[in-house]
Parts: sequence; C-alpha cells; structure tokens
Amino acid sequence: MVLTDLRQGQKAVITNLAITNEVVKQRLLHMGMHEGEKVCVKCVMPFGGPVMVEVDGQYICLRRKEAACIGVR
Amino acid sequence: MSSYIALFGNPNTGKTSLFNNLTGSYEYVGNWSGVTVEKKVGILRQHGVPIVDLPGIYSLQPLSRDEGVATDFLLTEPCSAIVNIVDASQLRRNLHLTVQLLEFGKPLIVALNMVDVAEKRGVKVDAEKLSRCIGAPVVPVIARTGKGTKELVRAILSLSEQSGEREHVAIDYGQDVEAAVQKISEQLPDDLLASKRWLALQFLEGNERIHAYLQTYMDIAPLVAVRDEAQQALGRPLAEHIYDARDKWIVHAIETSTVIFQQKPLTLTEKIDAVVTNKYLGLPIFLTFMYIMFMLTFDWLGSPLADLLDQFFSGPLTEWLSKLLTLVGASPFIQALVLDGIVSGVGGVLVFVPQIFILFFFISLLEDSGYMARVAMVMDRFMEAIGLNGKAFIPMIIGFGCNVPGVMAARTIEQPKERLLTILLLPFMSCSARLPVYALFAGTFFAKNQAIVVFSLYVLGIVVALGLAKLFSSTLLKNESSIFVIELPPYRMPQALTLWRSTWDKGKGFVRKAGTFIFGGSVAIWLLTYVGPKGIGVSMDDSFLAVIGGVLAPILAPLGFGTWQAGASLITGFLAKEVVVSTMNIIYHAKDMDLLQGAITQHFTPLSALSFMVFVLLYIPCLATVATIRKEAGSRKWTLISIGCALTIAYTISFLIYEGGKLFGY
Ligand SMILES: Nc1nc2c(ncn2[C@@H]2O[C@H](COP(=O)(O)OP(=O)(O)OP(=O)(O)O)[C@@H](O)[C@H]2O)c(=O)[nH]1
Ligand SMILES: [Mg+2]
Repeated sequence: MVLTDLRQGQKAVITNLAITNEVVKQRLLHMGMHEGEKVCVKCVMPFGGPVMVEVDGQYICLRRKEAACIGVR
Repeated sequence: MSSYIALFGNPNTGKTSLFNNLTGSYEYVGNWSGVTVEKKVGILRQHGVPIVDLPGIYSLQPLSRDEGVATDFLLTEPCSAIVNIVDASQLRRNLHLTVQLLEFGKPLIVALNMVDVAEKRGVKVDAEKLSRCIGAPVVPVIARTGKGTKELVRAILSLSEQSGEREHVAIDYGQDVEAAVQKISEQLPDDLLASKRWLALQFLEGNERIHAYLQTYMDIAPLVAVRDEAQQALGRPLAEHIYDARDKWIVHAIETSTVIFQQKPLTLTEKIDAVVTNKYLGLPIFLTFMYIMFMLTFDWLGSPLADLLDQFFSGPLTEWLSKLLTLVGASPFIQALVLDGIVSGVGGVLVFVPQIFILFFFISLLEDSGYMARVAMVMDRFMEAIGLNGKAFIPMIIGFGCNVPGVMAARTIEQPKERLLTILLLPFMSCSARLPVYALFAGTFFAKNQAIVVFSLYVLGIVVALGLAKLFSSTLLKNESSIFVIELPPYRMPQALTLWRSTWDKGKGFVRKAGTFIFGGSVAIWLLTYVGPKGIGVSMDDSFLAVIGGVLAPILAPLGFGTWQAGASLITGFLAKEVVVSTMNIIYHAKDMDLLQGAITQHFTPLSALSFMVFVLLYIPCLATVATIRKEAGSRKWTLISIGCALTIAYTISFLIYEGGKLFGY
C-alpha cells in the first residue's frame, strides 16, 4: 500500500521511501518522515493537489506524486 | 578579530524572536519556515558582543539558497560560540541538528525554546537532565515573551570566558565509520577553520557543500575512495547509517530527559485546518480574505482616513507653514519651493499612509498566524500547472507589501529554475508604492467602484505574472522538475504587539521614503518645473521637465496619455512608484487631492486613466527592485529581460485597453 491509498484521517506506518527526487527525499527525511514512523493523512487537496500528513506531531505537505512513492502498512 | 555568537536552529523555532530579544532590534518574524533568508548581525544588549541571526536549517547540508547562508557561515566566518535554538515541542527532529553542531566542536549552548508550546502539548523537558545527556548547557526560554533570556545571556557570557575547545560527547558510529573518519581526518590539511571529525562525518554523509569546500583545498579522490570503501563494508547507504546512530542517541537523550504527562494532539490547529484547508472551501476562503483586505484598505476604512489626512495637509498644515514662512521673511522662491514643491510632493504621498498601514496589517496577520504556509499548500496545484510550486506564492504575497523583500524571500525555493521564475514575476505583484496612484486615479474616475477597480488591477498583475511564468517555464526555462514540500506550522494567536511592530516595521519604510527619496525628488522635480531652457521662473510648459517628458509623449499617445506631464511622472516613477503622484501634484499645482483630481479630469478620460493605472502597475520594477533582482538572480541578462518584459507587456496591455475601449465607444 502507498500513502495515497489512505483516506483522510487514516493512520499507517511508513515502510519505505522510494522517492526519486533527491531534494524532496532529503527534505522529507529532515522533517522526520522515516521508515517505521507513524503517519496520518490530514487532508487531500482537490484536482490532484498536494496532501497534508502528520508525522510525530509535525504537519507536512507534499505532492501526490511523491506521496504515491511512499510505502505504508 | 571580532568573533560572533551565532544562532543556529531548525526553521521556525524562534531564532529571530530570540535575536530581537537579545539585541533589542526588530528583525522579521513570522510563523512559517524560511522567514529569515540572510545573515543579520546585532549586538548583545549591554555587553557589546556581536551576535548573528541565520536562516533556519534542518541539517548542515543545504538544499536551498537561504540554507546555504547558514552552512557557509560555519565554514568561513569565525564564531566563538553557537547558540542552538531548539523547539521543545519537536525535540527529536531538532536534536539532529544539535548533534551536528556539537560535532562541529565550538562551545555550544542549547536554548530550549517554546517550552510553553511543549507544555500545552503535554510534554515537559528537564533541562538539567538534557544538559547532562548531550554534554552542553541547556537553558529553557520563551523567545516570544523574553522569559529566560537573562539566564541565557549569563550562560553565553560564561561560556565565552572559558577558553579552549570543550570536551563534548561523541557519538560512536561503529567500527566501519569510525575507521573511515580516522582515515579522512589524517588526510585533511591542518589550517581549516572547522573540526576534522566534523568535516569527515559531513563528507561521509554526502554533504555536497562540504565536498565542494574540501575540493578547493585538496585532491578529493582519496577521500571518495575511503567513503566508497566504508559504504561497501557497511552494505547500506552511509547517510542512513549515520542518521540511525544519531537517532538512537537522540531517542535515548529524550527518554531520559522528558516526561510526557499527557498525550494531547494539536486540537486548535486541527479545527482551524478542517475549515481553512478544506478540500472545497480552501480556495474560496483565501479569496474572501483577500477581498476583505482590499475592501478595508480602499473602501470601508482606508479612504475615509486618507481624506481626513488630506484635509489636514491641505488646510491647517499649509496655512501654518505659509504663515511661518512669511513670519521668518522667506523669499517668494523659498515659499514656492516649500508650498508647491515639498508640501505637494511629500504630502501628496503621505496622505496614503493609512491605507498602506491597513494593507501591511493584513499582510502581517497572514505572516504571523501560520496561514501563510497553508496558502502555499492551497495554491500548489494551480502553481504546478504553470510550472511553479506553491512556495512561490509566499514571496508573491510579501511582494504586495514591497517587491524587494519578496524577491529576497524567493531564496527558500529549492529549484534554481523555479526560484529565478519567481524573482522574474515578482515585479508584477502590485506593491504598496503603486497604491497611491490607484487611489488617486480610481478615486477620481471610478469613485463608486474604487475597490473593485483596484482589486482588478491586483488580479491583472497576478494574471500577467502567472502567464509570464507559464511562458518561461515552457520555453526558456524548461528541463527541471518542479518540486514542493513544505512544513505547516501550528497556528499561533498573533500577539497585538508583534502585529503592530511588524506592521510598523513595513510601514516605516514607506514613511522614511517620503522623508528622503520623495522629499529630494520633490525638490528636484519642482526645480525642473521652475527652470527651463529659456531661463528661471518660466511657465511650466517651457520648463526642463516639460522638455524631458515631451520626448515620451508621442510614444505614449497611443495609450491615451500622450502628455508631457504623464511622460515626466512615469520617468520619475522609476525611482519609486509613489513619485508618480508627487510629480503630478507638483505639475498640476495641486494643494490637495480635490484640486489634483480636478486637474487630472482635464487631462485624462476614464478610459485613459484606466490605461494609465495599468501602465503604472506593469511598466518597470522600481530602482530598488531592479538592484535586488540583479543581486539575487546574479545575472545582468535576466535583469534586463525582466525590465524588457515589463515595458513590452505594459505597453501592449495598455494599448489594447485604450484602443479596444475606444472601439467600444468609451
Ligand atoms: N508560543 C511561542 N511561540 C514562539 C516562541 N518563540 C517564537 N515563537 C513564534 O514562532 C514563530 C517563529 O518565530 P521566528 O523568530 O520567526 O522563527 P525563526 O526561527 O527565526 O524562523 P526562520 O527565520 O523561518 O527560520 C513566530 O510566530 C513567533 O511568534 C515561544 O517561545 N513560544
Ligand atoms: Mg528567523
């Protein structure tokens, strides 16, 4: 399963970060998105817009393209 | 050698708030990541120690231009001690930076900030225990109110008295990495400012800035070989391994030092977000906010206040001044200079101070509440379509106040292409200096629909900017993917004092400009109207200004304002856009707004007024903006392109409006 499969309010655990863009990946890592962390999808913007997730009390917004590369369980 | 005390910390942890408290200055504070984009120097109050505020960073590997400033500071400037601001409510993430700073080897103090926020979330940090764990002093503070700063100053001073390098806790990264660190350290030259262990670790982690830095001092190939070897031995990416080792150490430190007495989520932030970033309501709410802002600025509140001020300037103030001048026996020349030149020119701009302050108040509100980052999120999908990302919207909003800080704010955008694009489109954001021009012309010709007309001008600016962005991103600046990741801070109740200071700080610039630039400009313009090729005290139509403006008149004629007056005010408007109004006040000999409005109705029709406003909106970035673009884009070519685009677009659109309007019979 990937992050974009989660519905609003659903929680899961990150299993892998297969993001190809190095800058995006580094940013997410710095903000605390690591394998084994819990994520919760807070909201999804319309028309394929970005998603907002919560990790460890921190709200992060990323594009759906990248969210689709984040495996969760 | 004066050496600094440097403030380091993650973005949005309160570094600048603390800096302001320590130095008594007022630097830019806001509730989103990336407010500070340059190094700022101040002096520690009463102690004379220089102290530096830096942009926020997550790690010492810079991903954007502002972050580069912080890393470069470590590499190139002498600092005697580091104050690391740590957000107590986000300890784990923050301590990753702390570890790297500890490894750097300079004396370090942790300022444990936002303890109030942490406590509200049910987390209590024991500073004493944390200090023992990480081997550095920890001082709890609340940067917002200044609580704990006295203790922090004491700790800073006692730290800089201790001489020599300090014993610090070293994390053991395991045999393979430690061996590699050892090997690299042995090869590093001795005269580098930074500690060898730190350099070696950063290099192993893959910090590109360090890679480039070392390359200038030595042959890097052997180091790369060591890194590859270590990587082989580990069998997994080095960066990950190093991260995990640090994380383990950090988690242990947190477990020993913090008590979670209550697990409480961010309920308020969640509730607000449920509405504000709602799938369907997000965009309408933002637009409504903007609409209210414009109505208050131009209609409901701003205009009546501007009128009052205008009455004061043209009535009592002018009377007093002229009495005073007669009393001291000033010559008619001086009287004319003061009353027709300075009072008209400077006063004509100052009457708009209330409107400008209202606008700045709203921008400050956006900045301080935490809504700014949400706007970036709401706008991202749209911005993506034109080849930008939502983060570019933040500089654009700041640009509504003044384009110069807007251009600076583009530093936080990671991709060089997107950053350049954002810089290029910023001059089309209608800054507050253009507001007097709109207020004057819209007030004269479209009194009933003033707010709507002005609102459309702002929208036109945005549309042109975005259109241009689309054009560039699909032609000249292709081939680089657009990215967007942003951290959303919790909402914070804006404090009255902060709001006021932030509003005043922005508005001050406008008032100061009136006292310097516009004052000087007014004197110069008046003199140019007073002397001419034929002598002194000529009629205005024979003055030098008329000659200069007259050159442009025929070119501007197809736009509907082919008079030397319009030409002259547009030329002077390059200095600063509000000078357009000053110049008109002087040229048309207007003592107050009513007279000026009367005068311009004789020279403009509603249609040509609209065309003129559009032209002023778009025609050229002001002098200060051009200088900033030159510096930030680092290229003369792009600066010229920016000016060229502005002139062409302004001319074309004004032409279409005027000629098109005529066809429709206006
Ligand atoms: N509740 C609370 N808010 C704080 C505290 N310190 C700072 N803030 C708020 O946090 C926000 C960020 O403050 P800044 O001082 O701009 O943070 P910064 O670290 O300089 O941010 P960047 O320059 O973006 O890296 C502002 O809205 C402050 O009012 C604190 O101790 N408690
Ligand atoms: Mg700051």
